Amino acid sequence: MEYFKSGLKTVLGSQDPEQQPSGAETVERLVERVQSSTLLDDRRDACRALKALSRKYRIEVGAQGMDALRFILETDKQDCEIIGYTLDTLSNIMSPTLFDEEEESDRQEDLRHIGEQFTEMFLKKPENVTLILSFLEEYDFKVRWPALKLLRVLLSNRLKDIQDIILVSPMGVSKLMDLLGDSREVIRNEALLLLIQLTKSNANIQKIVAFENAFDRLFDVIIEEGCADGGIVVEDCFLLMLNLLKNNSSNQNFFKEGSYIQKLCPMFTLPPDGADDNCWAPQKTAILFSVLLVVRCLVSPSNPGQVTLSCQKALFTSGIFQALTSILMASGVPINFLAEAICTLSEVIRGNHHNQQHFARVMAPISPPREAIVILLMSMVNEKQSFALRCTVLYCFQCYLFKNEDGQAQVVQTLLSPSYSEVNMVTSGQLLCSGLYSHDSLSNWLSAVALSHTLIENPAQRENLLRVLLSPDPNYRPVTLIHQVALLLQQSNKAQSKIGFLIFLGTWLSHCHLAVKHFLEVPTAIPYLTAQVGSAEGEDDNEELVQGLCAFVIGLCILFNDGTASSYDKDALIQLVSNRIGLEVFSSKLSEVSRNEFYSRASKLPQPRATKPEELLLDYEFCKLFKVLESMIVKAVNPKEPSNSAVEIAENGLVSEYKDVIREQDRKIAELQCKCDSLEKEKNQLKLTLEQLSSNVSQLSDENTLLKAQLHAGGLTHDHEHDLAMQVDGWRTECARKDATIQSLEAEVQRLNISSNQTTIESNPPTDPIESSDMDNLLELFAVQEEKLNKYKDLLRRYGEKVDDDDTDQEISPQPTSHNSPTRNNIV
Amino acid sequence: MSYAYLFKYIIIGDTGVGKSCLLLQFTDKRFQPVHDLTIGVEFGARMITIDNKYIKLQIWDTAGQEAFRSITRSYYRGAAGALLVYDITRRETFNHLTTWLDDARQHSNSNMVIMLIGNKSDLESRREVKKEEGEAFAREHGLIFMETSAKTAANVEEAFINTAKEIYEKIQEGVFDINNEANGIKIGPQHSPSNSNLPPGSKSPSQSSGCC
Repeated sequence: MEYFKSGLKTVLGSQDPEQQPSGAETVERLVERVQSSTLLDDRRDACRALKALSRKYRIEVGAQGMDALRFILETDKQDCEIIGYTLDTLSNIMSPTLFDEEEESDRQEDLRHIGEQFTEMFLKKPENVTLILSFLEEYDFKVRWPALKLLRVLLSNRLKDIQDIILVSPMGVSKLMDLLGDSREVIRNEALLLLIQLTKSNANIQKIVAFENAFDRLFDVIIEEGCADGGIVVEDCFLLMLNLLKNNSSNQNFFKEGSYIQKLCPMFTLPPDGADDNCWAPQKTAILFSVLLVVRCLVSPSNPGQVTLSCQKALFTSGIFQALTSILMASGVPINFLAEAICTLSEVIRGNHHNQQHFARVMAPISPPREAIVILLMSMVNEKQSFALRCTVLYCFQCYLFKNEDGQAQVVQTLLSPSYSEVNMVTSGQLLCSGLYSHDSLSNWLSAVALSHTLIENPAQRENLLRVLLSPDPNYRPVTLIHQVALLLQQSNKAQSKIGFLIFLGTWLSHCHLAVKHFLEVPTAIPYLTAQVGSAEGEDDNEELVQGLCAFVIGLCILFNDGTASSYDKDALIQLVSNRIGLEVFSSKLSEVSRNEFYSRASKLPQPRATKPEELLLDYEFCKLFKVLESMIVKAVNPKEPSNSAVEIAENGLVSEYKDVIREQDRKIAELQCKCDSLEKEKNQLKLTLEQLSSNVSQLSDENTLLKAQLHAGGLTHDHEHDLAMQVDGWRTECARKDATIQSLEAEVQRLNISSNQTTIESNPPTDPIESSDMDNLLELFAVQEEKLNKYKDLLRRYGEKVDDDDTDQEISPQPTSHNSPTRNNIV
Repeated sequence: MSYAYLFKYIIIGDTGVGKSCLLLQFTDKRFQPVHDLTIGVEFGARMITIDNKYIKLQIWDTAGQEAFRSITRSYYRGAAGALLVYDITRRETFNHLTTWLDDARQHSNSNMVIMLIGNKSDLESRREVKKEEGEAFAREHGLIFMETSAKTAANVEEAFINTAKEIYEKIQEGVFDINNEANGIKIGPQHSPSNSNLPPGSKSPSQSSGCC
């Protein structure tokens, strides 16, 4: 705590001791820090602090921090520590249980459902769950562990929602399954618990879990933990297995086909007798109990028959049948476990002739050896045995006889064959008959119901049993069994016993004219029954049941009466009922039975189930029989009112009318069928044409698009042309403009030329002749001058004066050089 | 009966194409004209022999309805083989094949062998998809193809067995990692190559010391 406080101080800065902030304020500040801190370290510290506060101030943390925490999960994924704190905090605020810190709180009422409410908020975004699932992939314990815990919290609050989300999140189940292989036991075990929760009553998840090799994984864990000698983890493994298999025939089939039944067998190896006092230690018993539950759900009567039969076969070949029978005969087995083992064995043999035959041959290891069945029946009629055990023995016996004509015959035979008188060799039949005489009403009921099961769906044994003679008192003449039962019924004063006898009689008389005849010959039988039905309402529910069953037996006497009985033929009995009881009363008493609470309870499952002995009143098979026959009895007893011909004729008329209607309808149906066929053909044709048309259309539309495309392309060039034309126009005008200028310029030029010509014409013609003549003149002059000059030069040379030739030339050039001038001047 | 290999299959395809009937014909050799809609998935199994070896087929028949699609996807990853089924009398089931194939390729392991099946070949008069079309589709996508009838049992055995053969060949070629169960293949209890010379039950610890 001190550490936590100092941690808080570092986060929040030290506080003035007089101004301690309230929890809500602290939480608010922390949440703000989580949201706004830019440094990961700060956010992490704030999360750590929130986690610490989330137990004591869970409402505040949840209400203010949920979004911030969710945001952390998305953004700070890479930091295992902060994710761990965040997941832990979320677990705390959504936890379904109250924390110690909250126990003394005055807000307990608010807190009770707060976890659930926060869960609901959290699940508003299903992707939150997917996010948590993704953290399971992180191997770091700091993340994987709290993620697993959080998922468990979510599951316990909102099982259905989470199941639905996991089911559709990709690889959701595989991620969970991978955890079963985690080397850290604590994670593996937690994953096991999580899967047990997750697979509860969701067949789809169960199947995916099984598909992901769950059974292999589980058996790996079981072997690793030491099988039956392992701890609670092994038990958890079997509980998960049970979840996967219960009412899931697909998985049951998979379990059987995957040869997993064989893997159950080693669980049953029991140590030799008396070897170890710890042999039935509570944990081991608990494990074995869960194995029994797994076996039972494979062969449950509510499974599809196919699955049960094949599993029964596999259970026999794998040796589990054998193992169960040895548990049955072992000493020191805890009674509850023994009862469950008997039930399991019962369902392993139920309706499977092969297994039933082997069961009949199981011998108890006593001397002289006795059949296990006899030993079991002994404990059934033994008042001192526990109620649970006696019930399960009845169930075992019922399962042994279920659809087992041979077994039924054998039991009846023990009552007919002379061997029964042998000393010390009491038979099953004898045990049951002795149970009928017992003073213990439960023994009466159990024995009577057991005997009734020798007759179910077995007409031969109904007649055989009529031959059984009993001599309870050696001083009296032996009486027939049916007579005896009728007497016992009258003598008994306990509802349970009476109901038992009535069930036995009811089963016996149904569908058996001979039994009805014998019963009617018992002098007091019918008067007793009519008196019972006719008497006033019983004081308790069970009395109602007795009366209803009495009415049922009378009804059977009417229904299966072939008229050979001395005093009571069908009509006489009906007469009796209507006179003594009244038809209405009779019918209402009869209908009481199916309205009874025990009736609906017994009709649910073949196994007799009751917590207290006095609640054991009706039997599954008998209820089935009652259901079928009740309406027939009501019909048989109620005379068809204005019975005779008139109605029949009317009925016949009605029938023929209906026949006509049906014929008409038949014709119409045929007609419509024809029409339907032709329409179908037409439809197909239309479909074809439609297809053609649609292909045409698509072709056309293709073309269309193609054309459009082309058009589009064409449009582009057109634009271009337009531009060009514009340009051309531009150029053209420009050209025109320039032409005009050129023309004007030309005109100007011409004008100018003309004027210039005029001017030249004006000037030139006179100059030309002048110039040429002048030139000629000048040239002549020059030649003359040159001649003179040359003459003078010669003269000068003759006179010895040096004269340059050049001088002459220079004198000819238009610009006489200056240095010549003195000479010239000289000359001049 | 012990097996050399165990293969996991899934059957996929539109609703009503006869997936469950194919499975029933294969496992129970019977035909049920009226079959309930499959809810989620159903399991079936049978032993076959290839190359004188027992091979156990575990088959998960999935619901074709769209509503179950997200559930059935969970099964793709762990399967070694898939039968992709369409109905030759309903073209739309053929048209949807690409969707199914994309889905399967996306969620399964890449080596999964897919067999394309045109079912209801007994209803020739109502045929809407030609056999050649099926063949072409299969060729294009690298699948094996077959037309079957769950009603007359024609080609049903072959469809399941040929898929197994293909997987078996892939194993022989070493394409599959047979020790990874996520591939949908398991080696039988007595056939794991590493301890085949040891009696069953004596497991790993003695193995490493014994070999050298």
